[in-house]
Amino acid sequence: MFLYNIKIAIRSLRRNPVLTALLIGAIALGICVSTTFIGLRRVFEKDPLSGKSQSLFYVRLDNWDPARAYNADDPRSLPIMISYRDMRELMKSDIPARHGGTYRASMFAHPDPKVGRPFNCDIRMVFSDFFPMFNIPFRYGSGWGKAADAKPEPVVVIDQAMNERLFGGVNSVGRTIRFDERTYKVVGVIGDWTPPFRFYDITQGVAKVEGVFMPFNFTQVLELNTNGNSDGWKGQADPTYASFLQSEQTWISYWAELPTPEKQQAYREWVNNYVRDQKKRGRFERPLHTEVTSMPAVFEEYQLVPPAIKSMSVVSLLFLIVCSLNLVGLLLGKFLARIPEVSVRRALGASRFQVFLQHVVECELVGIAGGAIGIALSVGVLQLIEKIIPQNAIRIGLDAEMVFVSIFLSLVAGLLAGIYPSWRVCSVAPAMQLKVQ
Amino acid sequence: MAIGPIVRAMKHNRMRFSLIILEIAITLAIVTNCVNMILAERAKMKQKSGFDDDHLITIFTTPFAPEFRENSYVENVVNADLRAIKAMPGVKAAAVTYFLPWAGGGSSGIWKTEGYAGKFQAQIYAARGGLFDTLGVKITQGRDFRENDTPVDPNASTTVTIISRALAKKLWGDANPLGRVITSGEGDRPRTVIGVIDDFYNPYSWNIGEFVLFTPGRAYGGGGHSYLVRTEPGAMKAVAQQLEPTLVKVNAGRVFRLLTIAEVKKNFFAGGNLVIRGMTAVIVVLVFVTALGILGITSLAVAERTKQIGTRRALGATKGDILKHFLTENWIVTTIGLFLGIAATYGLNFLLVTQVADTKMPWYLVAIGMGVLWLNGLVATIPPALRAASVSPAIATRTV
Repeated sequence: MFLYNIKIAIRSLRRNPVLTALLIGAIALGICVSTTFIGLRRVFEKDPLSGKSQSLFYVRLDNWDPARAYNADDPRSLPIMISYRDMRELMKSDIPARHGGTYRASMFAHPDPKVGRPFNCDIRMVFSDFFPMFNIPFRYGSGWGKAADAKPEPVVVIDQAMNERLFGGVNSVGRTIRFDERTYKVVGVIGDWTPPFRFYDITQGVAKVEGVFMPFNFTQVLELNTNGNSDGWKGQADPTYASFLQSEQTWISYWAELPTPEKQQAYREWVNNYVRDQKKRGRFERPLHTEVTSMPAVFEEYQLVPPAIKSMSVVSLLFLIVCSLNLVGLLLGKFLARIPEVSVRRALGASRFQVFLQHVVECELVGIAGGAIGIALSVGVLQLIEKIIPQNAIRIGLDAEMVFVSIFLSLVAGLLAGIYPSWRVCSVAPAMQLKVQ
Repeated sequence: MAIGPIVRAMKHNRMRFSLIILEIAITLAIVTNCVNMILAERAKMKQKSGFDDDHLITIFTTPFAPEFRENSYVENVVNADLRAIKAMPGVKAAAVTYFLPWAGGGSSGIWKTEGYAGKFQAQIYAARGGLFDTLGVKITQGRDFRENDTPVDPNASTTVTIISRALAKKLWGDANPLGRVITSGEGDRPRTVIGVIDDFYNPYSWNIGEFVLFTPGRAYGGGGHSYLVRTEPGAMKAVAQQLEPTLVKVNAGRVFRLLTIAEVKKNFFAGGNLVIRGMTAVIVVLVFVTALGILGITSLAVAERTKQIGTRRALGATKGDILKHFLTENWIVTTIGLFLGIAATYGLNFLLVTQVADTKMPWYLVAIGMGVLWLNGLVATIPPALRAASVSPAIATRTV
């Protein structure tokens, strides 16, 4: 019966190709616009750790100027990152399952001269916990162990693009590569891991993830400086590197994995106690203020989703509604013109429901066809947008979930647009039209 | 022209007219809010930097040769680089600096000064004589840096500064800023104001885009540095092409990255440009779709009432009467839709303002939007209304 409905619907759609094209075009346009903008929003809003981000926490401490808040207009504001000396102390807590500080450095890679000239590259300095904490998959090898953290051992993890550039994409675990003056052994090549931006460093905005990861403790050994954000208010006692590390300069992002509410509570208390202890030593002169914020909450707070994109996604849904309203008008015209035919069917014994179903099926066919075209169009538009954005800073694309949402939207649009015209046409009295003819 | 019969006729087709009303209301809400967002983005882009943006090139150099660890080696290379750049045909001026216009950030600090209560935040960049000439900005009060303003020891602090007019105004109002002393937040490292530049804008968070201190200093070190180059009009391309080869000739132990300031600015506004393009596309398509919708539904109404129209014509109604009937009908529907749309506009704007920090809706935008959509409705009604007017009275005598 249902197949029969579909057959009749297709025949009816074929009878007036221009009108059918208009119907499908209306849905396709609405779905294209809404899929594009909602998809763009999802790129930023999607949980980069598929569900785990609720248990990851971002740590901030207010070590700012006693005379003036971090943001002078907001007395409750506190620095976005923490200082090196505070990171060292936070690392001593055994409450988090995993934790560590991270920042971006910059070095020169010196590949085999046969491969290419030296080039400058961004390097992410991390502790061994970084890889399991952020669920980073490996194609070859793995991250390094705690022993490599402590020493630090000259090891690196690289991503696939870097592996392609340096080693032609082969399994490079065990091979070596020189960064600046030292040679490092590759212990792991990251697998299929494509977060749209550097979500682990909220000061970095929209930028692709770095291609090289190196043990954090090379910071002191090589006297590295951050190549990322750095905020300070106090300056340092003298220009030596040791004095820089002891200063109040904030330049490190700190994450802790706290799987249970008890641990979160205990950790917050532990961090507060640390700051209280430091206050006794003359630091942290502002009122006690620490924040241990979950990943989604901290993204929200720093507006990692550009407001304009949020606005556009709301507008695009309204756009889809306008397209559906247009569809209602067109379908109404189409179905009402068919009343004589319908009354014949009714007179021959078709029930109201059958007629109704027949027309709804026709609307849904239009919805599905329009939705498919709309999704295909929006894939193209998103690729265009990715090209417009400078330096390909973010990866934009539709994931399976978004495609499902779009198909669902097109079915809903088809149904909502079709219900009223279908109801109008099925409430025709059977003999009414026969009489006239 | 009696409105009564028209309204009574419309009551028979409530659903059809409410469709148009809803469509017009939502369209008005979307169009006005999109235009509002576009205007907000454009206002940001209109901001002038105060520099000769169109003729500026920046080239970053990052050294990998170990000799660059030595300060004296770097110093020699920088001096040789500047000589080589300035000798290039088409180059007006060049300077070594960490300051890059339109980079969307830079460096800032917190300072104090007499005559201003509390501390203030401002951008700070090291500059050597020639930077302002390179940027193409005028020193309207006081003087430029001299070579002996730059301390010999790279770690030593400088004693003089050149600030922007906007900062001088914020700190001391209209009083003469020359000779005043700005210190760090702790009160040490005093710097005397020796000059004021008129225009300065570099986007920065915390709304300090117009506030800057320039200090004389060696804006370079072992980690790399960058040059700003101002070219003659028309010489941009040639200079950009020759810059890297020229510098490689001076010293090959480094890599380069060249950008024009126009490109830097374009990158900075890429997001805003995307918003403008996206919104414009939405507006154009939406107005078109709405017009098509009105056209379709009105055509349907005409087709359905062909017989009635013929009867009216046979009873003595002129073509003008029929035309007027449909135009009036549309006028009523559009007007109701637009007034509903005012509520929808402010509703959507309220949602956007509270949820995503958008800007408030000015009333004149709504008024303009209403005017445009009203015309849009009229234009979309004319073709079916003309078709209705051309229905011949003889139709009335036929059965179907």
